Amino acid sequence: MGLLTILKKMKHKEREMRLLMLGLDNAGKTTILKKFNGEDVSTISPTLGFNIKTLEHRGFKLNIWDVGGQKSLRSYWRNYFESTDGLVWVVDSADRLRLEDCRRELSALLLEERLAGATLLVFANKQDLPGALSKDAIREAMALDDIKTHHWCIIGCSAVTGENLLMGVDWLLDDIAARIFTAD
Amino acid sequence: MACQLDGEVELSAAVKIPDRLLKRDQERVEAAERRKEVQESQTVTEEKSDYFSRGFNAEKAVIESLLSICSNLDRDKAPRVLEEVTLKIQQLQKFFNDSVVFLTQYELRQAQASLHTLQSTLDEKRDELLPKKKFAFRSRKAETSNSKATPVSTDSSQHSKSDGGTQDARSAELHVADGNIGAEQCGITNVDSQTLTMSAEEIQQRDVLLTHLTNCKVRLLGSPSTLHIKHVRDCEILCGPVSSSIFVDHASGCTFAFPCQQLRTHNTTDTRVYLHVTSRAIVEDCSGVRFAPFNWSYPGIEADFELSGLDKDRNNWTLVDDFNWLAADTHSPNWAILPESERRSSWD
Ligand SMILES: Nc1nc2c(ncn2[C@@H]2O[C@H](COP(=O)(O)OP(=O)(O)OP(=O)(O)O)[C@@H](O)[C@H]2O)c(=O)[nH]1
Ligand SMILES: [Mg+2]
Repeated sequence: MGLLTILKKMKHKEREMRLLMLGLDNAGKTTILKKFNGEDVSTISPTLGFNIKTLEHRGFKLNIWDVGGQKSLRSYWRNYFESTDGLVWVVDSADRLRLEDCRRELSALLLEERLAGATLLVFANKQDLPGALSKDAIREAMALDDIKTHHWCIIGCSAVTGENLLMGVDWLLDDIAARIFTAD
Repeated sequence: MACQLDGEVELSAAVKIPDRLLKRDQERVEAAERRKEVQESQTVTEEKSDYFSRGFNAEKAVIESLLSICSNLDRDKAPRVLEEVTLKIQQLQKFFNDSVVFLTQYELRQAQASLHTLQSTLDEKRDELLPKKKFAFRSRKAETSNSKATPVSTDSSQHSKSDGGTQDARSAELHVADGNIGAEQCGITNVDSQTLTMSAEEIQQRDVLLTHLTNCKVRLLGSPSTLHIKHVRDCEILCGPVSSSIFVDHASGCTFAFPCQQLRTHNTTDTRVYLHVTSRAIVEDCSGVRFAPFNWSYPGIEADFELSGLDKDRNNWTLVDDFNWLAADTHSPNWAILPESERRSSWD
């Protein structure tokens, strides 16, 4: 048995998952992470680097990595790909002018070998804004239906109100758990 | 025999060589060996980065030639070429990412600059050759100075699905925009040399977008939820307290004054920002951005502060992160504090 397999087995016994949150800058990644963890979201600065949070949810230990999305940081995203079980892609649903950038960055990520086994959750964030595009509009704009390589799901949410955050994370955990814990 | 004798003589002479000299000789030999090692490892990295440069430049040349021909192509061929270029740039970016570890700072910067240029050329060609985005709201010219700009909605009934046939990814975006009936974009676009005011009823807790404004004075008298400012030149934009972030992209020669939770400034030059920010401001790909404390006011600003949820007593306007300048010990050359003597105190 290879070392990697042993490590995987150990990790799965502890029901541990590694989630990677990415998306363009200003999408609301850090706000989602803090809101989900019940922290104050009014003091969040644009992320210069990354945040990591370990939390327990439904008996799983989640290691959530939130990496800054500014253009100058995107080339470092690759440093965080290894052993990712779930990719959370966060979209600012009201930022129509950058939807194309957003689609392009996501489609580049989905070509990455090291993310090949990860489940994809797309959060259509900022649904509380009156000008936000619906999750179906985002789904179409990002051509999500063309994704055949990953399990995926899109959920409309708001990090400010907390709406649907739990639902998204639960879907992600269920999908990952069905894949990796029942496989052995 | 003589030989042997000579040898012996020499040997005994050698024995008499002081330790000091022997040691020095040994050091010389070791140093030479070290140099050789260094040279060898250098050739390895040189070969690697040479491999990178050659591969990178070859691919860059291909992309450049694709970009240069696409203006002369038939309208229906251009989207496919642009899509191919998009893919090639993506692959080149990935090649670059995978090579980062063995490149020198200089090479890194060169390659990053090239990628950046390719991407902007691609964006320009897109603007030039592909149908305009449908959700760009109707441009509404203000007729008289001091006229009121009203929020304009994406009016789906106006747009027929004329380009529904094309299969490129961009058209998917257009469809979305077409189908986007419920969502309204609040803001002002395509105005030249006007004074524009939006009232609280129009902007309160909404996402507001200001784009393609030249030489305008804009007053937003209320508390938007978020504010985007894009492609503005020589404008003065004053806005009430913004609950979350303000996103500025491609501004030049402007003066801004606003309170917000985050300020994110991109591709901006020669601009003054009178700022109240409760978390932090950042700049990326900017130069000549200068900051001063927010000092504009209007009747009702107190209530708008309340509504925005911003802490009026917390202003971090001097804390600016430059994402292109990560050296902690020296100040970024791209932004500065506006000297008090140059600050404005009256706004009307
Ligand atoms: N109205 C609204 N604003 C939101 C929501 N989520 C985040 N924001 C705001 O959007 C801005 C950006 O949020 P961040 O969490 O810092 O964004 P990020 O994705 O972490 O950005 P980077 O760290 O630069 O990659 C902040 O001002 C948030 O308050 C949301 O659901 N609704
Ligand atoms: Mg962040």
